[in-house]
Amino acid sequence: MVITTRSLFHALAVNTALLACIFIATPAPAATCSETDAEALGWLAKMSRSYREVAYQGVVTFQRGGDLQVMQIARSVEVGESSELLTRLTGQGAQVVRAAHPLDCTHPGQQLLQLGDQLPASGCGMAEYYRFQVGEGDRIAGRQAVRVGIQPRDMYRYGYVLELDRETGLLLGISTLGRGDQLLERFQFADLHYGEPESPQRVVETVHPARHPHPDVADEGPALTASWSVSWLPRGFTPTDSAEAVSPRRTYTDGLAVFSVFLEQLSRELRPGEGVVREGSTTSYTRGMSLAGQPMLVTVVGEVPLNTARMVADSIRLVR
Amino acid sequence: MTEQLRESLSALMDDEANELEVQRLLGQLGEDEALRQTWVRYNLARSVISGQPVGRVNLDISQQVSAAIAADAKLSAGVWQRLTRPVASLAVAASVTAVVVLGGQQLYQAGDPDAGIAAPVAATGVSAVGFVNSLGAVPLRASYGNQAMPELEPAARTAYRELARQRMYLYMQEHAEHAALNSPQGLIPFARVPHIEE
Repeated sequence: MVITTRSLFHALAVNTALLACIFIATPAPAATCSETDAEALGWLAKMSRSYREVAYQGVVTFQRGGDLQVMQIARSVEVGESSELLTRLTGQGAQVVRAAHPLDCTHPGQQLLQLGDQLPASGCGMAEYYRFQVGEGDRIAGRQAVRVGIQPRDMYRYGYVLELDRETGLLLGISTLGRGDQLLERFQFADLHYGEPESPQRVVETVHPARHPHPDVADEGPALTASWSVSWLPRGFTPTDSAEAVSPRRTYTDGLAVFSVFLEQLSRELRPGEGVVREGSTTSYTRGMSLAGQPMLVTVVGEVPLNTARMVADSIRLVR
Repeated sequence: MTEQLRESLSALMDDEANELEVQRLLGQLGEDEALRQTWVRYNLARSVISGQPVGRVNLDISQQVSAAIAADAKLSAGVWQRLTRPVASLAVAASVTAVVVLGGQQLYQAGDPDAGIAAPVAATGVSAVGFVNSLGAVPLRASYGNQAMPELEPAARTAYRELARQRMYLYMQEHAEHAALNSPQGLIPFARVPHIEE
């Protein structure tokens, strides 16, 4: 199938059903916030808002190890809603479209970022588990950036260096740092234009309309015969949606990092063990285990250290 | 079965087979009854040597091999290449398939799970809290982090690694759907998906 960017962008923008989108805010613990933390949290909130409100088009690079991808990103903001388009310019000719996303629909991860707007009433939010620094950033895609350095306070998440547009707060670049400040992954704009996008026509083979998981609409898909729960999460992580107790997937976010847990029921006993694969900042951890006599394969996929994935897998319990 | 294949099989069991060897084994396993029997015997022997309980051995892997090859046939070589290494060859793609097939078999407990076979005893193994934190505060050892993992044989280790790779491939897009709404980068998490499906 060959589809041109422009026609698709508009067709989907009209056709996508609008779902009401209400999430319950995570109550933030009360804590005093240092000046630096408050400044950084303010920038994170501005970044999150700009992501919703600013229309732009640009070319971004995404680097993991020796692999460099180039993509085009376009975001259009119309009355009350935004549409977003990502086109891979290298490798697979694929495109991801999110159309007609209501501007007032704020998912849990963005909510955590926006708590910085409500200081000091919201406490110090993410500063409970990250340390912040704010400084002068690079020039990226011709824009002057503010640099927000983010270091984890515990061992359960990675560090980041964010480069935000000094004027608009738009995220111009983000580096994910592992142990010893090792660079795991970097995303950065190479070219950026503000204003409603005028997408040139591009030939792509695959178009994927991004899904919009909703708290009140059950996941379509296979269900397990048993309910399960994750009995331990690193501090600050909250579910991204209200997955059902028998859903094979759960996803959690702390505002910056996201990981998902997948459970498979096996028909036969598997030799207990674990396997790990890492690509950039992504860890895929698979564990064969037995839960209440039921053989299970647990997989944790996400942008968290191996140890986090392992401990989350350890804490999975069947609910009777 | 040639001597060369026997050596390749042995190397695979010891986690030392190279890509070409694995590819050759994959090609032969479906047709070579003697090779299949040798595979079963090698497993049995090693279980005995390592002191693990052995049940009835009744492994016919030919069916699983065919099924897995059929299932994997739709994955293009290019996808696997990106999944593995930038310079990955087609041989790597084949070996990934082969190891998953062989490894899956390796991971299943021999014999009937109901026949009173004890689970392998947890050895010293990997600590569940095995990472040193160089970035932040002193880590707390949580009570759930004390399940020692059994020390795996090389072939089972390889199998689990390939299982993890397979699962990453399987689940990355669904993870990206949620990451794209709950992290600062917008749709960028989809860049981590090896092959975006419609």
